[in-house]
Amino acid sequence: MGKYKNPSRRDVLIGAGATAAAYSMGDLILPNTSLAAMKPKKGGKLTYAILTRNSKHKSLKTAKHPYQGIHIRTKNVYNALTWVDHDIQAQPEVATKWEAVKDDQTIWEVDIREGIKFHDGRDLTVDDVVSSYNFHRDKKKGTSFAKKMLAKVEKAGPNKARFFMKTPNAEFGWWAAEYRQVIMPAADIDKIGLDGIGSGPFKFANIDPKRSVVYEANQDYWGEGPYLDNLEVVYQQSMGSAMNGFRAKQFDMILGIDPAMVPQFEKLENTTVDIAKAGSQMLAVMPKYEGSPFMDKRVRQALTLAVDRQKIIDIVYGGSSAWLTNDTHMADFNEDFLPRGVVRDVAKAKKLLAEAGHPNGITLPTLYYSSYYPEIDRVFQVMAESVKEAGITMPIELKQKSGYRKWRVEDKKKTRKHRFAMGPVGPRNPAANLFRMARPTYNESGYWHPNPKGDEFIALYKKAMATGDQKERRAVYHEMQRILQEEVPTFFIIGRRSIDVFRSNVHGWKAHSQSWSGKFDTVWKS
Amino acid sequence: MLRAMIRRTLLSVLILFLVAIFVFLATEVLPGDALDVYLSEDDVAVMTEEDIEEMRHDLGLDIPAPIRFFTWLSGAVVGDFGVTIVDQIPIGNIIFHPLLNSLQLGAIITLITMPVAFAIGATAGYWRGQRTDAVVSTTTIIGYSIPDFVIGTVLIIIFAVWIPLFPAVITAYNKAHPMELLAVSLLPAITVIIGHVAHLSRLLRAGFIETMNSDFVERARLSGVPERRIVWRHVLPASVIPTLNAMALYMAGVLSGLIVVEKVFGYPGLGIELIEAVDTREVHVVQAIAFLGAVLVVVMNLLADFAIIALDPRVRSHVSER
Amino acid sequence: MLVNGKSLGAILTHSPGTTVGVILVSLHLLNALFAPLLIPYGETQLVGQPMLEPGHANFLLGTDVIGRDFLSRLMMGGRTSITVAMVGVLGAVLIGTFFAVSAAYIGGFYDDVIMRIVDTKLSIPGILFVALFVVGFGRSVTVLTIVIGLSYFPGAVRTIRSQAMTQVPLAYVKAARLRGESTLSVIFRELTPNVVEVVVVEFAIRTSSAILIVSALSFLGLGISPPTPDWGLMVSEGVNQIYQAPWLILFPAVFISTLVVGLNFASDGLANALGLDAARGLHGG
Repeated sequence: MGKYKNPSRRDVLIGAGATAAAYSMGDLILPNTSLAAMKPKKGGKLTYAILTRNSKHKSLKTAKHPYQGIHIRTKNVYNALTWVDHDIQAQPEVATKWEAVKDDQTIWEVDIREGIKFHDGRDLTVDDVVSSYNFHRDKKKGTSFAKKMLAKVEKAGPNKARFFMKTPNAEFGWWAAEYRQVIMPAADIDKIGLDGIGSGPFKFANIDPKRSVVYEANQDYWGEGPYLDNLEVVYQQSMGSAMNGFRAKQFDMILGIDPAMVPQFEKLENTTVDIAKAGSQMLAVMPKYEGSPFMDKRVRQALTLAVDRQKIIDIVYGGSSAWLTNDTHMADFNEDFLPRGVVRDVAKAKKLLAEAGHPNGITLPTLYYSSYYPEIDRVFQVMAESVKEAGITMPIELKQKSGYRKWRVEDKKKTRKHRFAMGPVGPRNPAANLFRMARPTYNESGYWHPNPKGDEFIALYKKAMATGDQKERRAVYHEMQRILQEEVPTFFIIGRRSIDVFRSNVHGWKAHSQSWSGKFDTVWKS
Repeated sequence: MLRAMIRRTLLSVLILFLVAIFVFLATEVLPGDALDVYLSEDDVAVMTEEDIEEMRHDLGLDIPAPIRFFTWLSGAVVGDFGVTIVDQIPIGNIIFHPLLNSLQLGAIITLITMPVAFAIGATAGYWRGQRTDAVVSTTTIIGYSIPDFVIGTVLIIIFAVWIPLFPAVITAYNKAHPMELLAVSLLPAITVIIGHVAHLSRLLRAGFIETMNSDFVERARLSGVPERRIVWRHVLPASVIPTLNAMALYMAGVLSGLIVVEKVFGYPGLGIELIEAVDTREVHVVQAIAFLGAVLVVVMNLLADFAIIALDPRVRSHVSER
Repeated sequence: MLVNGKSLGAILTHSPGTTVGVILVSLHLLNALFAPLLIPYGETQLVGQPMLEPGHANFLLGTDVIGRDFLSRLMMGGRTSITVAMVGVLGAVLIGTFFAVSAAYIGGFYDDVIMRIVDTKLSIPGILFVALFVVGFGRSVTVLTIVIGLSYFPGAVRTIRSQAMTQVPLAYVKAARLRGESTLSVIFRELTPNVVEVVVVEFAIRTSSAILIVSALSFLGLGISPPTPDWGLMVSEGVNQIYQAPWLILFPAVFISTLVVGLNFASDGLANALGLDAARGLHGG
């Protein structure tokens, strides 16, 4: 009998009813206490399968570079200044401390941990941090988050670096944990990172840039672990082949399974299914232009009231592996998350539609989506059926993933407007999340700007980013979420919790809401 | 005879040129570009449209199509398929190992299919119209009627999961040793064979029947040559000739089959590379693979023509007329 | 009705295989035509718990992965792909007949050009050809139909042309020309009626192959889009549940296969009855 390891209290509360039966009560009452007491064992090899691959994976020449590895889990080989833990809190990694030295949150000083060695035996120093970040913020070669936000970085002492941000950034700790912003041995911008030398728990051993990577343990790792001798990641094109590989014992673990497969894995012997606190969300951009039904706020409100999210959770997510979105980019594990007041109200949706001039219901444009997640077809089909009850006809259509983004957005000459189309949202901190609606040029709000409410939202965002005090900032975040929930510029369909499955002899692994932030440092096999 | 061969060769070159134009036009109409896939949602969330346009310009994605076509074609003629768009990696490096792996799988399939199809075709042809023929024909038609992806999935469940004889998914590297790949090739090969043996065996059956009814077999029979000897020494070899062209086309069928099967099993070959290149808009990779596939088919066809011209005097005049 | 001196009934029951094929195809076509009237539930309606097993009191074949009646979806699941395959192939064969017959009759440079285009298409692996088009022009039913038409056009031209070539030297063609019939008239009035049997067999064989291609495309995510029920799509939707609900891929696989088997048996028997070589036709698509 398989076990659900570690379902959070929230899972159980949400899952009450339809799915309580899915959990074996014995497992709930008796979490793996006996195993927790076991001492980690050294040795062995763990092979895990992934279903999504780094979009920047390329050739053997560049496959060790942190931007271009097969998997965005750069943590296997590299360290960043900070790490985001399972509760989405920023934790120290290479940095031991970070603080804003200017009240407006634009200048940050970071203390660098002593005693960290790179895989080639060199010490990690503040110079490596400065050199790495000069690469990350490079206009041509750098990474988007760093390019966007970092103006300058300099050495401020033997173990101290100083970061000058372009705009206030009160959430520096989360920003520094971004998966590409790792620390590499100092080198020229053209060469840095290519040799694959990091300071993380594992070193590169063997690489097939498109299919798999084998890592070996870094014996001189500065932190706890690693316990495994070898770690291997294998990319699988389909969920079915990953499952077959797991059943044929080729894989010890699959990261991010299809929620509908949970019952099948439960039936397997010695198998653990672990559900993360959260994961990605799906949103639908509602383009607002002359002639679009979404110009009318009441239509937007009616749509979000009409969709039966609980039914999606029950049918598609086995009642437990999804969460109710709050019509913002925020994920529900976040302390700053403000739940929506109403979950579903078909009568009110109908009334709003009637007021908007659609007393006999409305036919919306086709909602396009693409195969970002294995269960996405089911989500959209259940959604399209459920809004029918409010008199909303919403045709749906699956599009190819390649070319999908360019296809759905407005073209340069504006001869084609943005389409009514789905987009994905990764689980992040509020600053990164809410920023997406604060950008007038970004299409995700469906051209909500210019608009007095939109302007207010942008002003609040700027205020939040310059507010050092977390409580005060949270008040601003709540205000921003309230605006989104009233205006409904964008329709948030459902949030999914990532699900990992692994053999029960694997210990120390917990599903992480941010797929790139899980660490294998302390994972071991018995 | 030589004139006929030269004519066929020139025609093949013309066909390859037409294929090049077609492949280029087809990839030109693909929506989006390499950059569109290269950028993650995270990148896009913080980049402005201007940033994206600038990157596009830096990568040369805004160069007009005809210029790109002739640059590509002039290279392709000498086997240089250019570099990938975003990372400037030579296409040769990317497709070399997958090409070898696919050729190996294709060769295994052909090596098994030929004798099997031969045996089936000759059996059905020899006892044509009888019970054996009906059973064989029915079975091959059913095999051909079940989709490749269903056969592959069922084989995996039976021979990898229920009876763990073979790996369920192939995790071998692109650069894996041929023997390592050989060890895992059986299930994918069988999948393609079940789906494609019907074609070939039915052709051979037809060729067999045609030869059995031909004058020279009749003469041999009348002059008292034993039936067994007629079949083995005369009919079997002769029945291949009319099917040679079709066999070449059969290779094209195998290529199509490989694309689906490589995906089902995760075999590190050109099919997977192709699906991926279409997905990531690496136009040059798609062009190179499509072009190489066409070269293979055209060359097979040409060889079949040569063989027919050389072996069968009756056809010589016919082919040179074409 | 007589074809080649045989009654239609005699052709359709030429051999036990042919009869089985004709019955299978008829059943599938009848079902496809009348399914909207026969299905117990709406094909997109959520009517029960997900993945109920076949034999359930309310749902004969159980429910699918989101709780829709599986029987209703299966019955509706062939309509789109059968329509796409039949319309596409019919277009290919009809237009192909004109080009094939005219190429055979006119010959020379015109014939050369057509045959080189045919060879070009036949040199490109089929799935690749279709995939490039579908990705390029989007995945609508119209695009799929056109793509199917385009990919079967060259093969049809090749087969029909070789049949027409056997007719061109015959006396009746010469006679028609001597009577002063125009080229078009010879093509349409004289030659075309004499290749009609090949065209019919060609249509049947290519349709079966087209149905397989459409289902493979849907399986690869390039074909028909949800929520439209489609067998190939149903297989790909069911693959992840294969250990828990194997019937979710078994039934659609059986539906696709019986239709294709039926078409192949029927066309095979048809070809035999008409004295044509069906094996050649199986090729080059």
